[in-house]
Amino acid sequence: MKCSRCKAPAQVALPSHHGGFCPDCFQGFFARQVERAIHKHRMFTKDDKVLVALSGGKDSLALFLELVRQGYDVTGLHIDLGIPGSSGPARAKVEGFCERVGGTLRVVEMEGEGLPIPLVRDKVRRPICSMCGKIKRYFFNKVALDEGYSALCTGHNLDDEVGRLFANTLRWDVSYLSDQGPLLPAAGGFASKCRPLYRLTEFETAAYCFFNGIDHHVSACPYSKGASFTVRKELMNLLERNSPGSKRAFYEGFLKQGRPAFAAVEKEEGRTLEPCQRCGYPTSAEICGVCRVREMLE
Amino acid sequence: MNNWKPVTVVMEREGETLEFPKLNTALQLLNKLGLGVNDALIIRGDELLTPDRKIHTGDDIIVRTVVSRG
Repeated sequence: MKCSRCKAPAQVALPSHHGGFCPDCFQGFFARQVERAIHKHRMFTKDDKVLVALSGGKDSLALFLELVRQGYDVTGLHIDLGIPGSSGPARAKVEGFCERVGGTLRVVEMEGEGLPIPLVRDKVRRPICSMCGKIKRYFFNKVALDEGYSALCTGHNLDDEVGRLFANTLRWDVSYLSDQGPLLPAAGGFASKCRPLYRLTEFETAAYCFFNGIDHHVSACPYSKGASFTVRKELMNLLERNSPGSKRAFYEGFLKQGRPAFAAVEKEEGRTLEPCQRCGYPTSAEICGVCRVREMLE
Repeated sequence: MNNWKPVTVVMEREGETLEFPKLNTALQLLNKLGLGVNDALIIRGDELLTPDRKIHTGDDIIVRTVVSRG
């Protein structure tokens, strides 16, 4: 296979784009997809302070490197979950990466916040992936607001977004379908949330990491075994294999035609958010989910 | 003297090593592993192999599946 752009030997085949790329042209392709996402959705500019959530996985590290290369003012945020055998190696990857690329890193330790995930798992009778996600999002938002960042970026890629859209659609969850997308503007106690990798697949971020020698965390979280999102991803991958481009079409079609309809319904019937009585961050109940977890651990 | 060697395939995430007496292409390897074209990076040395690339006896291949699992 030859590179679709320069005709050198290709190293990356992309059936959904009807072609392939050599390493150099692939990096250009990757950069253009990120650039297009940021500009199309007016996520942020080079004057903004941008916080990037870094898990240590391939997507977040690839995003951080690309934003640095494009000249954005980025700071990494790592949440140390305190999971034995998993959080330490993930944190070490993030710290090593930031040192290598000269990036500023902020680390928040759940142990220090009184919310180590193993304890949450023992004490709270709800799926741990859901609770862990809630706690991480809470601290992403808190750090972004408290420390004056204009935007909070996560490394969600097209596969993540399509998997989530599929799940939300299976449940016909109007609230989630009303605002799922690459940009959630700042409003009502929430920082602006951006997903600049939404045009790129997991395969593409993995290839980007390979070409740039990014040493990322590979092991799955020991608590995620049997998590439903992996099954949904496999289903969507099967669909993509038989019909390349179907993931992108599903997601782009939703953004154009589905989301506005759900947003209109949510505007009429959706719940309003109020500041949590304990911490002041937005919640649909009197006490937010994270403060309720804290109570359970006391 | 027989210099024949199998193709050695390291499944990185699974921590397993497989040996194949003969493989023609990267696509054939993906098919044998039940993987799609964009489910894994097929790595030989410092390069990625597209599905049409030939695999030779004695090659050392790394398969890096790309689906993140939390």
